[in-house]
Amino acid sequence: MSEKAYEVAHIDELDSFPTENEGLVWRPVRRRLGITAFGTNAYTAEAGDERVVEEHHEKDGAEELYFVANGCATFTLGDDEIDAPAGTFVYAEPGTKRGAVATEPKTTVVAFGAKPGVPHEISGWEEIFVAFGHLHNGDEEAGRKAIAKVIADKPDEWRGHFNAACFESLTKNREAAFEHLRRAIELEPKAAEAAREDADFDWLLDDPEFPA
Amino acid sequence: MSGTANISELAFRLASGQSWAMVRTHFGITAFGVNAYVANEAGIEVVGEHDELGERSGKHEELYFVANGHATFTVNGDEIDAPSGTLVFVRDPAAKRSAVAKEAGTTVVIVGGKPGEAFTPSPWERNAPALAYFATGEYDKAVEEFERIHAEAPDDAGVLYNLACAESMSGKSQQAVGHLARAIKLDASFGELAEKDSDFDAIRSKPGYASAIAGQPDAGGSSS
Repeated sequence: MSEKAYEVAHIDELDSFPTENEGLVWRPVRRRLGITAFGTNAYTAEAGDERVVEEHHEKDGAEELYFVANGCATFTLGDDEIDAPAGTFVYAEPGTKRGAVATEPKTTVVAFGAKPGVPHEISGWEEIFVAFGHLHNGDEEAGRKAIAKVIADKPDEWRGHFNAACFESLTKNREAAFEHLRRAIELEPKAAEAAREDADFDWLLDDPEFPA
Repeated sequence: MSGTANISELAFRLASGQSWAMVRTHFGITAFGVNAYVANEAGIEVVGEHDELGERSGKHEELYFVANGHATFTVNGDEIDAPSGTLVFVRDPAAKRSAVAKEAGTTVVIVGGKPGEAFTPSPWERNAPALAYFATGEYDKAVEEFERIHAEAPDDAGVLYNLACAESMSGKSQQAVGHLARAIKLDASFGELAEKDSDFDAIRSKPGYASAIAGQPDAGGSSS
C-alpha cells in the first residue's frame, strides 16, 4: 500500500488542545498531515488576549519562523516587543527568547521549525502534549492512548514514564502513577525531585508508598 | 539574526503577475525552505505547476498554507478548493501541483524540506537574488548576479535563460543571443518559452536569434 501523495486540512479542522499557559490553544499541523521534514503547528486565540506563542528559548538548536496568519499579536523577541499584524513573519534564532500574546480576536499564528544541518527529528514533547490535550478536553481514553504511544516509541526514556505518571496521577490512578514514577526514577534519579515539585502529584505526596 | 518582516515588505512583483517573498533568504534560514507568493489579481497562478523531481528542484515534501484569499489547487489532477486557512501538504515529490488564485491578494506560504536529510536549498533558489534585481528593473545588477551563478553552474539551462533575459533587457544583445542559444541547446523547451517571452522582444531581429530559437549550432554571440 502506498501513501497518499497529498493531504489537505483547514486550520479550523485540526485538533484543538487548550493548555494551561495563559489560554494558549495548540493545533498540531505536522502530526495531522504526516510531515516529517520539519515541524509545524498552529496556535489560535478566539477572544484576542490569549497567549499564542509560549515564551521560551529553543534549547535544542532549532530555528523557528512564526507567521501571523490572522488577527494581530505582540511578539517578544529578545528584549524587543514587536507589533505583528497579519502577514508578519517573525524569525527566532535558537538562543533568542520569544513569545507572543494575541491583541485581536481570532488571531492565528503558524510556526515552522527545524534544526540546521541535521535531518529533522519529530519532537518528543508532541505526543505528550497531545495526551494532556485530550485529558484537558475530557477525553481520558484518547489521552491514555497517546501516552502509551510515547512509551512504546521510547520505552527507556524517563520523561515518557514521568509524564505517564503525571497523567495517571491526574486521573487518580494511584498504582499506575507509582509504577510509572518508579520506572522514571530508575531510568533517571532526578525524576524524584521533579516529582516532589510537580503539583500533578500533590494528592499523593503524603502517601507512604510515594516513590520519590 | 532574529528579526521580523511583513510579507508586504518582502514581496516583489514578477512578470507573471505574482509577487514573490523570499522569506528563507531574507532571514538566512538554513533548516528548511520557505517562500511566499501573492497573486495580485484573480485568475492567475499563485503556485506555478511543478513537481519536485527536476534538476533544479529540491526533491522536497512541501506544505502550502493559504494565508489569505482563496485558491484552487490541482495536485495530480485532483482539484482542491482552498480558502484562507487551508493547508495542502504534498508528500510525494513526483506529484504535479499548482494553484490558481480565485481572489486578488491570495497569499500562499510554502515550506519544504527533504525527509531524513539535513536541509539544503533547492538549486532554483540560486536565482533568487538576481530575480529580485530583475523585478525592480535593475537589469545590469541582475546580469552581474546571473553571471556569478552561471560561473558556479555553467550547464544550468535555467540560469543561462535568465541571464539571457537580463542581458536582453539591459541592451547586451549579442551576449543575450549567445546565452539563449546555449540554454536552448541544453533544454529545448526554453525555445518555445523564449518565443512568448517579452524579455526577448529587443533581440528578436538581431543576428543569431532565429538560429538560437531553432537550436542551430551556429547561433551567434558569446555563450561563455
